[in-house]
Amino acid sequence: MAKTSAVKRDALINEFNQTMKPVSLWADAWKRLKKNKMALGGLVIVVTFIALCVLAPILPIYPYEEQVIAHQNLPPSLRPAGVTMIESRVGYLKLVMESEERTEMTDAEKAEIAAMEQDVSVNPAHKRVYIFGTDSLGRDMLSRILYGGRISILIGLVGTITALLVGIIVGAIAGYVGGWLDNVLMRFVDILYGLPYMLIVIIMMAIFGRNIINLFVAVALVSWLTLARVVRGQIISLKNAEFVEAARSMGASPGRIIFRHLTPNTLGVIVVFATLMVPSFIMNESFLSFLGLGVSAPLASWGSLVSEGANTMELYPWQLLAPAIAMTLFLFAMNFLGDGLRDALDPQSKNRL
Amino acid sequence: MTRFVIRRLLSLIPTLFLIITFAFIIVRVAPGGPFASEKKLPPEIMANILKKYHLDEPLPKQYLRYLNEILHGDLGPSFRYKDYSVNELIGQALPASMLLGFLSLVVALALGLSVGIISSLKQNSWVDYSAMSLAVIGISVPLFVIGPVIKLILAIKLKWLPTSGWLGGRNGILVLIMPIITLSFPYFASIARLMRSSMLEVLRSDYVRTARAKGLKESTVVLKHVLKGAMLPVISYLGPAFAGIITGTVVVETIFTIPGLGRFYIQAATNRDYTLIMGDVIVFSVILVLMNFLVDIIYGFLDPRISYK
Repeated sequence: MAKTSAVKRDALINEFNQTMKPVSLWADAWKRLKKNKMALGGLVIVVTFIALCVLAPILPIYPYEEQVIAHQNLPPSLRPAGVTMIESRVGYLKLVMESEERTEMTDAEKAEIAAMEQDVSVNPAHKRVYIFGTDSLGRDMLSRILYGGRISILIGLVGTITALLVGIIVGAIAGYVGGWLDNVLMRFVDILYGLPYMLIVIIMMAIFGRNIINLFVAVALVSWLTLARVVRGQIISLKNAEFVEAARSMGASPGRIIFRHLTPNTLGVIVVFATLMVPSFIMNESFLSFLGLGVSAPLASWGSLVSEGANTMELYPWQLLAPAIAMTLFLFAMNFLGDGLRDALDPQSKNRL
Repeated sequence: MTRFVIRRLLSLIPTLFLIITFAFIIVRVAPGGPFASEKKLPPEIMANILKKYHLDEPLPKQYLRYLNEILHGDLGPSFRYKDYSVNELIGQALPASMLLGFLSLVVALALGLSVGIISSLKQNSWVDYSAMSLAVIGISVPLFVIGPVIKLILAIKLKWLPTSGWLGGRNGILVLIMPIITLSFPYFASIARLMRSSMLEVLRSDYVRTARAKGLKESTVVLKHVLKGAMLPVISYLGPAFAGIITGTVVVETIFTIPGLGRFYIQAATNRDYTLIMGDVIVFSVILVLMNFLVDIIYGFLDPRISYK
């Protein structure tokens, strides 16, 4: 046990006369998060995804919009495209032979294969490797998934940031000021809640046209509602605390009290909320893209890739599975991370949705 | 009680009015119109068409006319399906959507509640872990991924189920299986998680300890005391769940080519079939708003702390 005299000035001393290092909320939360293997795994996956998507333009991958007509619908493979191209052609011709009950290829077919082999040996383009295969226009699926991820994640972030800004401001003001202003703001939130949001967004996208700005607006439109409610509740429970009283007695303005004293105390809840919000925005965006109302070609998002893949899945299942798995993995990781953060930042919380 | 119900019902009117107005404005301020894409018509004929549908009147007048028609239960003629009224089109399509949505909700509720209850009673057992892993999949995987993937596996690769179609065909009720799995899975997952955590909370509460201390059988404690309290969060989740299911039908009907309302939805919006979009929005909103109303009433019944005032 350390003696009091040996203790540095700003260290804390507990009732057993032990020195304690002051632990911030975040250091404490990080300590708890590190123990949660699932959440940590989620964090690693999320960071990897974001890094890959952000770095996509400088990674050694093929341009996402470049179409190589000869390389249409190639299955995922670690071998050069030329090899898989000939293989899938030969496989197809064998099926034709079976259906026509032949044992040999016709001369025309043999010549076609020979020409392909000749082309493969001279054309360096056939040395490309498509580890996730190609789509129906001969574009690299890996590249499309990474560039699609850029858009999907970007929309998730934009939606979340809008939600944070508007939600915190509206919620904090309603909670702190109270009275008629609170009433008006919360009635407004209630009414917007009652709207069938996605249905109206579908109409907006169909009518105002599919472009990425409209998509941002549509996704961000009502994103802040729940957060405004949550922040308002937090602020109300805090606004009569002693530290707020102290700030007020020192003459702090309401704006300063709200944004310097109250809001930082609700950050834990807000961070958890934000992490769980990103996947829901990504889902909404993909939902619209799936219906053909999201980004338009040659841009891609995970939703539009899944939608294209669903059209061709009978013959080329990887065109559905590759983007579906990428997207699911990211959403999974985000959800685990969000759950872990909630447990870490707010240990008393029940495991709500 | 009756007064509460009536008051609550009356409060639905402004919400619906707002939705209708909002949708009307969005639909009308956008460029283009239902007849913009057709072949160049002589101006006299075009003027006649516009006149027939009252599209030549100023917008506020059209709006009032439309409100008046709705109040008389008439959603107007469709601009695209020339010989049909919107009432007829929706009348044909609504049963399929309703059946799909209703069955999915029932399946999600029944399975979600039972899985949640079992998980909480056997907390930290393998049953609990596997059920909750399934639930995490359910909330992470969007339904437009689940739909095509199970279609790929069950219908295309294994050929156990028909790929598409609807009741009345030769496949009987088999056609219902995949759409219902797809649509109910995310909500099953949320309900199971919600029920489990709320059961765990109630199981540790004082009144349950009292019930046990009285010497009640464990089954009586769970069935009579725990369940009622634990249901409350699930009931209040039903409103958002139903909203999600309604929106979900749009996607599921597209994936499995089901002749329901959702199928019209995007088509009508793209075609600027003003009356049909509005009709769709109104029908969906009425269902949604009524459902929320029902949830409120049920909640009030189950929770003695809420008084009807």
